[in-house]
Amino acid sequence: MDTKLALHPIRAGSLSAPIALAVFLSSPALAEGVDAGTLIENTAQATYEDASGSRTISSNTVTVRVDELLDVTLSPLDTSALEVGPGDAVLTFELTNKGNGPESFELVANPAVAGNDFDVTIDALAVDSNGNGTYDPGVDEILAAPETTRELAAGEALTIFVLSTVPDGIADGSETDVELTANAATGTGAAGTVFAGEGDGGGDAIVGTTGASALALGQLQAGIASVDLTKAVSLADPFGGSSAVPGSIASFTITADVSGSGSVEDLVVSDAIPDGTTYAAGTLALDGAKLSDPSDADAGSASDADGVRVDLGDVAAGTSHAITFDVIVN
Amino acid sequence: MKIIVKAMVSLAVFAAASTPVAAQEAAAPREEPKAAPASPVTLSGEVKAVRTMVDADGTETTELVEPGVIVPGDRLIFGTNYANNGAEAVTDFVVTNPLPDAVRLAPDADPALVVSVDAGKTWGTLGELTATGDDGATRPATHGDVTHVRWTLERIAPGETGRLEYPAIIR
Repeated sequence: MDTKLALHPIRAGSLSAPIALAVFLSSPALAEGVDAGTLIENTAQATYEDASGSRTISSNTVTVRVDELLDVTLSPLDTSALEVGPGDAVLTFELTNKGNGPESFELVANPAVAGNDFDVTIDALAVDSNGNGTYDPGVDEILAAPETTRELAAGEALTIFVLSTVPDGIADGSETDVELTANAATGTGAAGTVFAGEGDGGGDAIVGTTGASALALGQLQAGIASVDLTKAVSLADPFGGSSAVPGSIASFTITADVSGSGSVEDLVVSDAIPDGTTYAAGTLALDGAKLSDPSDADAGSASDADGVRVDLGDVAAGTSHAITFDVIVN
Repeated sequence: MKIIVKAMVSLAVFAAASTPVAAQEAAAPREEPKAAPASPVTLSGEVKAVRTMVDADGTETTELVEPGVIVPGDRLIFGTNYANNGAEAVTDFVVTNPLPDAVRLAPDADPALVVSVDAGKTWGTLGELTATGDDGATRPATHGDVTHVRWTLERIAPGETGRLEYPAIIR
């Protein structure tokens, strides 16, 4: 007897849209600072009395130009490890220009982070062009290499998607991190590093406390469901015993256990009627509930020619189904 | 260092007739220019940035430097030097300094400094003034509300010089 199992690629259970919850990890909130290039002009005026009466004088005007502060933060928007199976996976991040001038940022995604159980393949980086927080193929812009955002205004945030492929053959529960780095296009470095003349508005650019570079980790966890089938038989002969003689009834129980996490899709269990036996009409049941023999609206069908077939559909990990049927020994 | 480039000091000055517009919000009444002799008193403005240094022991020291690269959050000191170059004393010497929009008065400014939070209409120490909050309610004025600072000297003797300054944080 051979028990066959047909199922489509195993899928993770949790594919719901990422929840947009910003996590602000770094404190300096200078985004509301005056714009780079602003001129600060100060003039004092005085009035006084002297022999010729009341007089008014002014000082010279001193002017300083506000330079461009380069600061950036990056936060994962997936609130916990994204549960994935082999295939496409999308990680979501929020990039914020914490500087005081328009700046674009170069993005680098690194899938090979120390400690990973497996590594994904990075397919592309995209920006949330329509601002809905969810990656929409064909709508959200894929960044061409070298992946660089448009200029973000001071304080502006942008949602970034890292599109990746999870390899086959990973174990349930195994984990991986993808590291996304954003670097100010003007330059990065230790806080205080100056890029003379490169600031917006005609001044210099200076690296702020973030180093003009931000790094965030997106976490993926494999949610792999697996199916175990066990088949048991009990015999009842016409004489009240359990020997296999013509007329004995063999009752089969096939148990499908789905373990791991996530779910399996389109699980179909089929079994041939053993040679030398005949299917006992009307005995097919799923979890104790009868299924009709013809191939029809219910999940099961059974006949001598085609054997038994039960379509369990999508089955969540942690559940178990029992398929029972009887055959008569010829 | 490119410091010198940054401190652009324009030299337009001094006779009442050519007062730069930036200073005209001052509350003091203005006189029509007369064919008077050049003012015996001069005002000279300057700006310095405050840099905080931390030495090997962790001790913080600050020093005033020419404003090099400045960004929001940095501290500036605006100073005005006055000098009476005439032979006579002058009296009722009132120096008014509108704050540039891009800065706010530093929190550690002298509490006795006379300020205005309404573009020079009313004056007092910050603790005496109120402002209207976003919700329309009256609240105590804060350093960020200050629009002008003012100093009053009863008399400046011939040859006397001095310096007036206020600290500000770039918004």
